[in-house]
Amino acid sequence: MTEVATLRILWGQRLRRDRWQLAIWVLGIGALALFSATAIHQTYGDDSSRAEILQVALATPAILMLRGLARGAGIGAFTFFQIFSFLALLAGMMSTFLAVRHSRAEEETGSAELIASTPAGRLTPAVATVLHGTAANVLVALAVFAGFTAAGLDPAGALVAGAATGAVGLAFLGVGLLVAQLMGTSRGANGFSAALVVLAYVLRGIGDATGTPDAGGTVMTAGPASWFSPIGWGQQTFAFTGDRWWPLLLPLALAAVSLGAAWVLLERRDSGASVWGALPGRVAARRGLNSPFALALRLQAGSIIGWSLGGLAGGLLTGSLGSAIAAVDLADSSATAVLRAIIQSQGASLTQIMISVLFSIVGVLAAACGLQAVLRLRQEEAAGTAELLLAAPVSRIRWLTGYLLLGTASVVLVMFLAGLGAWVSLTGSGDTSMDVWAVWETAAAQLPAALIYLAVPALVFVLWPAATIAAGWALLGAGVVMGIFGGMVGLDQGIRDLSPFTHTPVPNGSTTDWSGAWWMLAIAVLAAVVAVIGMRRRETGTA
Amino acid sequence: METIIQTVDLHKHFGRVRALDGLDLDVQRGEIHGFLGPNGAGKSTTLRILLGLAKATSGTASVLGLDPWTQSVELHRRLAYVPGDVRLWPNLSGGETIDLLSRLRGGTSGRTQEGRDYRQRKARLCGAFDFDPGKKGRAYSKGNRQKVALIAALATDAELYLFDEPTSGLDPLMEAVFRSEVLAAVERGATVLLSSHILSEVEVLCHRVSIIRAGRIVDGGTLDSLRHLTRTEVSFAANGLDTRALAGLGAVHELTSDGGRVRFGADSDRIAEVLPALGALGVQGLTITPPSLEELFLRHYGDASVAAGAAGGEPEHARHRHLLGARGRD
Ligand SMILES: Nc1ncnc2c1ncn2[C@@H]1O[C@H](COP(=O)(O)OP(=O)(O)O)[C@@H](O)[C@H]1O
Ligand SMILES: [Mg+2]
Repeated sequence: MTEVATLRILWGQRLRRDRWQLAIWVLGIGALALFSATAIHQTYGDDSSRAEILQVALATPAILMLRGLARGAGIGAFTFFQIFSFLALLAGMMSTFLAVRHSRAEEETGSAELIASTPAGRLTPAVATVLHGTAANVLVALAVFAGFTAAGLDPAGALVAGAATGAVGLAFLGVGLLVAQLMGTSRGANGFSAALVVLAYVLRGIGDATGTPDAGGTVMTAGPASWFSPIGWGQQTFAFTGDRWWPLLLPLALAAVSLGAAWVLLERRDSGASVWGALPGRVAARRGLNSPFALALRLQAGSIIGWSLGGLAGGLLTGSLGSAIAAVDLADSSATAVLRAIIQSQGASLTQIMISVLFSIVGVLAAACGLQAVLRLRQEEAAGTAELLLAAPVSRIRWLTGYLLLGTASVVLVMFLAGLGAWVSLTGSGDTSMDVWAVWETAAAQLPAALIYLAVPALVFVLWPAATIAAGWALLGAGVVMGIFGGMVGLDQGIRDLSPFTHTPVPNGSTTDWSGAWWMLAIAVLAAVVAVIGMRRRETGTA
Repeated sequence: METIIQTVDLHKHFGRVRALDGLDLDVQRGEIHGFLGPNGAGKSTTLRILLGLAKATSGTASVLGLDPWTQSVELHRRLAYVPGDVRLWPNLSGGETIDLLSRLRGGTSGRTQEGRDYRQRKARLCGAFDFDPGKKGRAYSKGNRQKVALIAALATDAELYLFDEPTSGLDPLMEAVFRSEVLAAVERGATVLLSSHILSEVEVLCHRVSIIRAGRIVDGGTLDSLRHLTRTEVSFAANGLDTRALAGLGAVHELTSDGGRVRFGADSDRIAEVLPALGALGVQGLTITPPSLEELFLRHYGDASVAAGAAGGEPEHARHRHLLGARGRD
């Protein structure tokens, strides 16, 4: 069999395996390009409204972190500013996962060994993976081009934007393949290379936030951090305004260098071996690992840290947006209508409503964090690890309450960090138009709804274990849709009232109505108590 | 003798499945008790009830004088359990898991003499079982996961050890290590209940066995007493001898003659009645095959298969029954 024939077989196998997954990635990225461009058309139809919002954005580092490099108020440039960094992030994720899936993961499961023992050898599969990944990124580039063009943007600029997205994806294809040579497990390789993609996103965010705006306040020159990020390189194409192609040489060069390095490593190492061995674990446990609660903390630490960082970021964003809004008069814009639809409160000021809206989203993060603690109970039970614990002198009730306490603590932690972030950024902005203590009140107001998502799933776990995980996420999803987005899509008030989030108080000085919070707190406590009592009589098992 | 485990008419139903159907088990202090039965007989279910992880549908169970369902924490302080299929926390190392489980049971803390003893014992067991405690849980094979639970159980002193098919993932060398550790634990005064579906494992280790099938105990006692229930195979060269005298003896069953040899099965506890008759015949080429528990065991398994496979009418089972020629005791 010739090399080419082998290659064709291996590539075909990759295509077959990935066809649905790739279709979802490519169509998803294309649809995101299309919908965001269309939405911008509708929301900010003319240059002046876009210029106005850009001026707010350029004064608000937190917005720039999440958006991109502003290059003027033209519709194409504005769309590129809004969405490109996110499209590139997705392309990067798609590419690293693809690279690891067809290299380290195959070696881990042993299927690579089967292939390596055929005439295909050890290197041809890697070539097939590169071909496959390149094809995927060409498709992504075409999807972005098609999405932007279909939304009525300038095709030349759309082509540059598409190529930039694909080039970032290619760079991370190489990075993913290189990381797959270094790390011994696919889990490690996926985690590490995804972290590199996020790092690229954050670096360009810092570059965008620390750039220098021009006199008009709508065009930005990126700070130095952007130049260390493939996504930042993509932004340098100035699609729709400059249409520069040369910055794409940078991601392509990164792809070439990392692929070359991966090749060298691949040629030298044994199948299944890695450059960095698996991290050895501890031979003995730390002194603190001596109770069900300590174990729960250990198991949930990653999730708690993740949601807490989300809370902190949400808080920082809230503070800086709040002060930006105080500076600009948005009283009659369509954005205000959207905010008023989410938060129903008569007396509250626009800034307070803004903070409540953003904090209600942070409140969802907190609820998810608490929910995950309860879901862990079920995961432990289904996986069989709970049996080891419960066969030791640990009662079912102690086990359950450990997770309830941990969940409560993490809900409070997420909201505390959100409050801290908002407080710091509001105080730092020197904005005196609002009472910064209202931030703490708003943060506390989110706790009861979040605690409902701790206690009610715990009750489900006790009464109907097998349904815990599905019911937990379904309840949270339904609560978010009905309570937070319900107003925007015009849901009936009766339906909106079913969601805990609808009853979260909106502080407005002295007339705040806290009754919803007390009711929810009472329900949460009641559900938790019933769960604990029920746990006394419940069997545990994997079924 | 002091009773450590006692169940009376224990029933456990899962919907319409009767996992336990009137199980009476009794385990005495200081013994290694084999709990023997085919897959699905209800061994794990019994152990989970004895631990208070599951609640009996009806009947009573007492372990170390305690009610496992209501007094499980107190009970668990005094026993150690190794599940049949050990699952580990993927991101805890084996050493961490062993320490955690031992600490939960207490008596392993810090700089006390107890703590030093525990660490010494853990290190010795890791050595004996050839176990690397520094790997993450997700990286261990089935046998190594089993070792984590075994080391955690054996590293602390317990009055009672419950093992659910403990050697199912271990290689023969490790099985030998397990055996000597169990014997050492019994030396210390512990009691052991060992479930297994492999006779040889129970045969070398246990003082008494209980055979479980379809949720009830179908046979039990010391190994010797069980052996007496089986038959001794006797055969000799036919040489045209008149074997009618033999056929008349009550201890002789299924006398056949083929291929130039006469064969029969003799009740093992009445073999002495047969010997004079054999001597009178002046038999030659005599072979007497001692009774094996395998027969008894296969008989119980075989019955189950016959019942289960009745529709299929597999000849395999029929052959077993004939071969064993054993008389049902129940
Ligand atoms: N949680 C459960 N739900 C339903 N059936 C079960 C459950 N656990 C055990 N069983 C059934 O009970 C019987 C006994 O199982 P088990 O105690 O695991 O047997 P053994 O350990 O002897 O192999 C089997 O028929 C099994 O299918
Ligand atoms: Mg079992």
